[in-house]
Amino acid sequence: MTRAISERGVALIDVLDRLLEGGVVLTGDLTLAIADVDLVRISLRALICQVEADRDDVGRQP
Amino acid sequence: MTASRYVYAIGRALEPADLAGLVGIDGAEVHPIAHRDLVAVVSAAPADEAALRARLERLDELAVVAEAHHAVVAAVATQTVVVPFRLATIYRDEQRVGEVLHERYAEFSALLDRLTGTVEVGVKLYAEDRAPAPVTPSASGRAYLQQLSQRHRRRDEKWQHAAAAVERVDSSLGALALDRSRHRPQAAQLLGVAGDNVLNAAYLVPAGRLTEFTDLAHRLARDEPALRLEVTGPWAPYSFTEPDHGDRS
Amino acid sequence: MTGEPAPAVPGPWHRFATEPETVERDLARLALTIVELLRQLMERQAVRRVEQGDLTVDEEERIGMTLMLLDDRMGQLLERFGLAREELNLDLGPLGTLLPRD
Repeated sequence: MTRAISERGVALIDVLDRLLEGGVVLTGDLTLAIADVDLVRISLRALICQVEADRDDVGRQP
Repeated sequence: MTASRYVYAIGRALEPADLAGLVGIDGAEVHPIAHRDLVAVVSAAPADEAALRARLERLDELAVVAEAHHAVVAAVATQTVVVPFRLATIYRDEQRVGEVLHERYAEFSALLDRLTGTVEVGVKLYAEDRAPAPVTPSASGRAYLQQLSQRHRRRDEKWQHAAAAVERVDSSLGALALDRSRHRPQAAQLLGVAGDNVLNAAYLVPAGRLTEFTDLAHRLARDEPALRLEVTGPWAPYSFTEPDHGDRS
Repeated sequence: MTGEPAPAVPGPWHRFATEPETVERDLARLALTIVELLRQLMERQAVRRVEQGDLTVDEEERIGMTLMLLDDRMGQLLERFGLAREELNLDLGPLGTLLPRD
């Protein structure tokens, strides 16, 4: 693949768009299909748990 | 050692050597499961299902899983055409994966044929960020309502202009692409960038026309002062994995 | 606020200082977001009715004053908790954001 388009790293938000809304959807054996994950809860928890997240300092590349 | 398998993508004619050194979720080694010419790219899934589920509900931990998943897909996509899987598809054991390949053989084969020689390009458009005039305290309730009314009207106009510009860009790019797909607009809070995301689209483009496509996108954006363009990719074809994706809306 | 550059997980959520008041501030932000939602809905409704012309002069005056006072009160609450109005929002995933950005 060429790097003609973007010199920057891949943005998380764009990855999430594709991994949460794109890709083949099959019913796996474990009840862990992403459709089951409550995306509203993600936002609310992220809001409240941000202090912990900062302390953990996961330190990802942008 | 868990028997369950996390599936990243499906490809063709992949040998273990092609996946050597690749690691996926929680650093598990990536390896192939073959059925005829189809190959599922998998790794051992995290043993604790409940814990994984909880992780996926935290944005920061979801990010780690998503990036690990994407890294595997992207690496394999440099070697051969792949059909990427959505996040968190897990099977009980290797045999089950083989069965799925067998059951869906025709569908996956057709998909791989269709996607061969193509790449996905992401195109995002943002409406220029003209901050609305602040509402000033008014002498009377009626005057205040008048201000609000004007504000709402100006905002509606802004959106109408932006929508028309988006349609122009989208239809021109769509003409050059094999297929197109739209994701929901990205929330500004998550972006920290200027302007509202008014188009978050993916286009399926023949690999050989990639430069032509992105050049066109930049040319179109230059003609639309109300919009700001961002191009991402090339991506593995995440947005074009539905067998009958002929939707051009 | 510490003024550190935001970590890679995007969003202004990371601008919080790691102090005990942060939890209270986060809860205030959630509560005020809901109040702001209601305020915006009322504002929208009022504008629609004005444009339709089905309010009397008195009603316009009363509703306008109420909205103006509400907006002023919101400003005071935001100041009290050290919040900017742009911070009041919720991302509802597939549903987009709770409040429009502008």
